[in-house]
Amino acid sequence: MALWVDKYRPRELSKLDYHKDQAENLRNLCKQSDFPHLMFYGPSGAGKKTRIMCLLREMYGVGVERLRNETMSFTTPSNRKIEVMTVSSNYHLEVNPSDAGMYDRTVVIDLIKQVAQTHQIDINGQREFKVIVISEGDELTKDAQHALRRTMEKYIATCRIILSVNSTSRIIPAIRSRCLGIRVAAPSSTEMTSVLQATCKREGLVLPPELAMRVVDKSERNLRRALLMLEASKVQQYPFTAQQEIADLDWQVYLRETANQIVSEQTPAKLEKIRDRLYELLSQGVPPNIIFRGLVEHLVNNCDMSIKAKTLEHATQYEHRMQNGAKHIFHLEAFVAQFMNIYKKFLADLVMTDDF
Amino acid sequence: MSAKKKAWVKSAFSELKSSAEEAVPVKRTRSASLAATAAKNSLRKTNSTICATNNSVVDLSLDGEQQDETDTAGISPIVSDNWIESFAPSCSDDLAVHPKKLEEVRNWLLHCQALRSKYPAQICLITGPAGSGKTATLRVLAQEFGYALQEWINPVDCEEIQTLGDQPTGNSYASSQLEAFKSFLLRASRYKSLLSAQNKRILLVEDFPNILLKDAAATFEELMDEYMNYGKSPLVFIVADSKSRVLNISYKLFTDQLKAKLRIEHISFNAIAATIMQRSMKRFGTLMQQEQHKALYKLPTQNVMDSIVVCAQGDIRNALINLHFGSLKGAPSMATKQLQLNVSAPSKGRKRKATNTLKSIGRDESITMMHALGRVFNPKYAEDNAQRLLHSPEDLAEAFCTEPRNFVNFIHANYLPHFLDISHAMEAVNDLGVADMLLQEYRDDSLGLVGLNIAVRGCMVPNVAPVSGWMPVRGPKRLTIQPQLTAGEQKLLGSSYAGISKSVYASEYSSFVKIIASKNHLDK
Repeated sequence: MALWVDKYRPRELSKLDYHKDQAENLRNLCKQSDFPHLMFYGPSGAGKKTRIMCLLREMYGVGVERLRNETMSFTTPSNRKIEVMTVSSNYHLEVNPSDAGMYDRTVVIDLIKQVAQTHQIDINGQREFKVIVISEGDELTKDAQHALRRTMEKYIATCRIILSVNSTSRIIPAIRSRCLGIRVAAPSSTEMTSVLQATCKREGLVLPPELAMRVVDKSERNLRRALLMLEASKVQQYPFTAQQEIADLDWQVYLRETANQIVSEQTPAKLEKIRDRLYELLSQGVPPNIIFRGLVEHLVNNCDMSIKAKTLEHATQYEHRMQNGAKHIFHLEAFVAQFMNIYKKFLADLVMTDDF
Repeated sequence: MSAKKKAWVKSAFSELKSSAEEAVPVKRTRSASLAATAAKNSLRKTNSTICATNNSVVDLSLDGEQQDETDTAGISPIVSDNWIESFAPSCSDDLAVHPKKLEEVRNWLLHCQALRSKYPAQICLITGPAGSGKTATLRVLAQEFGYALQEWINPVDCEEIQTLGDQPTGNSYASSQLEAFKSFLLRASRYKSLLSAQNKRILLVEDFPNILLKDAAATFEELMDEYMNYGKSPLVFIVADSKSRVLNISYKLFTDQLKAKLRIEHISFNAIAATIMQRSMKRFGTLMQQEQHKALYKLPTQNVMDSIVVCAQGDIRNALINLHFGSLKGAPSMATKQLQLNVSAPSKGRKRKATNTLKSIGRDESITMMHALGRVFNPKYAEDNAQRLLHSPEDLAEAFCTEPRNFVNFIHANYLPHFLDISHAMEAVNDLGVADMLLQEYRDDSLGLVGLNIAVRGCMVPNVAPVSGWMPVRGPKRLTIQPQLTAGEQKLLGSSYAGISKSVYASEYSSFVKIIASKNHLDK
């Protein structure tokens, strides 16, 4: 009983559904005895992690799939204990340092040292280095990235690092230059429909093409989301019908509702209610930049052409501040207040011109 | 031979003490002892010269005093070394404490007397800012009721262990002080001092044993339980308010639970009001004019007296020290300066008096966070100049420069209800955002203050029409992200869960996994 996403995830480079040329290149890379640090980049749900796992399997064989979960604990310089969950096999270790928040630097240094200082025990193993997979590399703080840069060079004999990032823009140039960048683009709609159809076939289900198209549209070319969506929809209603309701991400619904409330009333009291809703989203763990983006999209869709440009201009400004600041809520709130102000002025002007 | 060993030998053969002492110098090498004596001689020389000069200076002043003493010896025998004691209140009317608080303490003492035979071990906790007359009140009232005050003073307790000769471990050292405290509580409450005439005693603890200051709430509770059972006298704890949590004894040791359990009476004093302070200043003035002090003091002008009161901010001890300093004979009159911004807003109808404050001496004005938040959210403008804020944002920011982040968070959590118009609120939150960015900048220390300043100013200036009225202050919200997975959801995800980051799980998986897991649950 596993999710379809995990169950039907391709395990070998040769079995990948799309970007086949790239898969061939990766296989060539493995054939040589050595390979550089890698950085897979591309949008969420495009298949970065799948490709990384396929690559590891190609290099180390089936042993890579024997995974174990470990909770590693670290002590920060300020004597605070943090725990980070890792997934590892004999050959690799997968970690998500951004879960440690502002203490990710400690995690990066300690963990990589631990792993890199031990050599491979298995002499028959084809490679003499281990691999550390760092997911969400772009969430690493600048501090942690600088720490990573040094360790990457120092321990290159015993370990390779594979970074999985959404956008290279938040990776410092020093790391970008040390890694071979591999772009994993989001699959096209046709590729996605064929994956969905193939999955349904293996599950023994019948998927109407219209529904497949709708799921693809709704998932914003995010394959992971599409598969989860499809599975949830199947749970809600099977046999599929072309026009059935598709399960939705509840935070997206919540965000849409929030945007509607912003348009409906522009007072400080309302702003306070919006703040509570934003807090709710943040405490669910939805990343602030995703909230910001969703909010901007909904608001821009809801407002008149004449104020769209202004809204976007302010959005960019507050988004930039949010990246630099520490309290995300300040900047989200500032943007909402700014929009309310613009929108209110716009409405007032509208009433004035109507009078004439 | 180490010093410790010597001590050990000494104590073990204490009857041979004198001979041992004689023996020690013999062991010294000759040159060393010679050097020592030379040093001693030179020291003696310098000492004597200093003494000589001192004498010549002191003689002048002593002349006056001696004459004084001879003059006044017949009238008043009080000649105390500590001048401050001669101003201590002698009866409850002299106290500068608010009558209500006085009544509270008195009631507690009456209550103690009523229960004396059955439950002698009553406990009371008195808190209040420094110099609000906590100890003085207790002293005066204890005297009135005929109690002797037995005060605990932290002993210097290294001695005991050194004489035992063992290597002192941290543990035994700590426990010994606690033991001493315990035995003080139990013994002093039972047996009266041979030197005092009164039969009734109150135990007073102002000086807390150091061991209790470190997470020792449990030990303290045990101790108090024991005292309740075996103690024979009322016990009073006096704790001065402290801003920092770590040092706040009343908060750490006297938990609400403990207070309820042992029925500890908690009386909290306030800073002394300006009017009462004025009255006591007058009393000090008349005391100074009395015969035995006349020679020493010359009363300063009313202006200076008023400034001292303003400066002390409810701290009577501080006021008295300033008065003493300002009225010593031969001292020039203290410089005062006009306060630009009146600390207390003038009430309507009364003519606003210009208040002065001492230029160089006195406490800095400190304001609580709630007070400062009120000033930020309800900005007032100077009467004579509508462009000028009554409380300058710089001063407010400066008062919290040690914890700018905290103050900005508080502003953010509370500013919205005070705004009427969204455009004003927008300007405020815009500045809060800038402040957040500046506070995040760690490379320059001064930016913290700048950020705080911007946040404070940003809230005060745009708020043209503040919403007035009582609004509860809320603390800043803390975000704790901890996805809670049900067993079904966890099973569904299997081992791969650890590889999914929290944010991806929240934004991509959680909604769908919930639906799928619920269905699987139904299937079973």
